Formats: sequence, structure tokens, C-alpha cells
Amino acid sequence: MKQTLLFLAQLFFLYLIYQGSSYIVSFLDLPIPASVFGMIVLYILLSNGIVKLHYIEVAASFLLKHLSLFFVPISVGLMDYGGLIQASGLQLLVMVAASTVIGLLVTGGLTQFLSTKKVQKEENYHEQSHSH
Amino acid sequence: MNSLTLISILLTIVVYIGAMKLARLVRSPFTNPVLTTTIVLITILHFSGVSYQEYSPAKDWISSLLGPATVALGVPLYKNRDIIKEKMVPAAIGILIGTLSTIVSAVWLSKALQLPEDIQAASAVKAVTTPVAIDTVKIIGGDPTLAAAFVIASGIFGAIFAPILLSVANISDPFSRGLSVGTVSHGIGTSQIMVEGPIQGAVSSVAMGTAAIITPIILPVIFRFL
Repeated sequence: MKQTLLFLAQLFFLYLIYQGSSYIVSFLDLPIPASVFGMIVLYILLSNGIVKLHYIEVAASFLLKHLSLFFVPISVGLMDYGGLIQASGLQLLVMVAASTVIGLLVTGGLTQFLSTKKVQKEENYHEQSHSH
Repeated sequence: MNSLTLISILLTIVVYIGAMKLARLVRSPFTNPVLTTTIVLITILHFSGVSYQEYSPAKDWISSLLGPATVALGVPLYKNRDIIKEKMVPAAIGILIGTLSTIVSAVWLSKALQLPEDIQAASAVKAVTTPVAIDTVKIIGGDPTLAAAFVIASGIFGAIFAPILLSVANISDPFSRGLSVGTVSHGIGTSQIMVEGPIQGAVSSVAMGTAAIITPIILPVIFRFL
């Protein structure tokens, strides 16, 4: 019972951050989603120590564990695109698949290349400074 | 709440629990819970004659947790702040070039495949999280509903194939794996790559957030040149 209440209180707190973010985003007309803004707000609150991890951790880990569930009902919306999929499904599949593959490889490959190159440079630097 | 809404919510949760069990038993990209739950639910709704519109109240109830859940991504972000700060420069370059590459390839492929213009515009926003996609696509003259459909399809595709694809391409660094999935497959991809480890999950959320901030800024500028 105590655990359930704690969970609900934490959930309510995360919901408050989200609602507050929605309000700020629409008031300032920011071009980012309220949820992403709220994520940054929570990060800042945690970094400043205003919010401690244990205030929210039970609800946060539950929500993150079941993050996929919250996307499912939106994905079910694809059922309304039966006609379009019948008409040009293959082209759409090729477009979505190929550009997602290109994006994944470019992003992942480039980041890995840049971050490992930097580490190697630092290692070389350390080796040089040792030899002196 | 009427009984159809209540049944729809319970059905969604029950199917999801089953899908999670299946994903644990059979480790395969095709047992991805978003994919299997979506297919089973569409099949059930289709054969019981329930339209998506009738299912929508249930969707609203369940998706109301999506906002707080995305806010909760601030937790892994905070826990992994040191590695993120350390790799800030490669991460920023990766997200920017990665976002550009998805936009350009999607629009060029749509043109090459002779898809109509509203589809070309909608394809440009497919990598970014749904609310941003809907707002951004209006600026470049695409259809928001269509954009949402592409966003979901890219998310599911990335969630299913990204782990294998990145491994085949020798992209083994957890940081780069998370970053790549968050940039290209937003929240749906993030929910999957989180299973690999906390670094992947944290970096994926950062990348998703950053892509959501830069896409509305760069897309209107570059779209006219595509």
C-alpha cells in the first residue's frame, strides 16, 4: 500500500513536470515538444540537486521499462493507411527502410569514427608526454 | 469511460504483456513488442469491426503516460551525464549529419520512386518524434497524418533492425549505437535500444531530443533545395 502510494505520488510529480513544460512551451511558442522540454527540465532539476533521484526513481523506472507500451496505440493508427499501403506499399517500404538504414549507418559510423579517433589522439599524446 | 474504451485499454495491456513474454522467450527482431502488439491489435480490431476512431479514447488514455515517460528519460540522461559531456562534440556532429542524411535520402528516394509531392514532404520528417513531425511538416506543405504514419514506420523499422544493422556494420561502441538509434528512430527506437544497456538508452534520449530541436530549424531551409 505504501509502495503504491509512493509510486502514484512520483508519477504525479513527473506528470506535473510534463504539464508545466506544456504550459511553458505553448506560452513561449517554443518549436520543441513539451515532453522533450520536460526531459531537459528534469535533468536540470536533478543536476542542481533540487530533485533527488529517490523522489522519482520508482515511477521513472516503471515508465521507462514500459515505454514501448505507450507508443502501441499510436502505431495501431497505421491501420487507417490500408489503402495507401495497397496502392504504393512497396515504394513506401523501400523509402522508409533505405533512408532509415542510411541515417543509422551515417550517424552511428560517423560518431564512432569521431569519438574513437579522439581517444586515440589522447592516447598518443599521453605516450609522447611519458617519453619526455 | 464507456465499456468499449475499458475493454480496448485492457486488451492493449494484455496483448502487450504477452508480447513482452514472447520477446523474452524468442530473441529476434521480429518479436519486438511494438511490432507484435501492433499487428495483433490491428488484426483483432479489424476482425471485430472496431474502427481506429472507436479505439481512439483508449489510445488517449494510454498515450497520456507518454509525456511523463519521456520526461522520465531525464533520469538516464542525468545518470550518464559524464560520458555525454565527454563526447559532446562527436555527438553533436553525428546528430546533425545523421539528421541531414535521413532527410535528404528520404526526399530523394521519394522523388526517385515517383511518389506524390505530399508524400515527399511527409517523408522528410520521418526521423523525428511525432509531435515535432506534425508541426514541422506543416511548414513545408506536407500532410500531418501521413507524416505521423511515416514516423511510426521508421520508429518500428529502426527498433527492429537497428541492433543487427549496427552490429553488421561494426558499430559496436554503445555510445554511437544509442546516438544513431535516437537520431533516426526517436522514442520507439529508444524504447528498444534501452534494452541493450543504460548508456544506449541515455544517449538515445539525448539524440532524440536534439534531433527534435534541430529538425524544425534546418528542414524549412534545406527542403527547397531538395
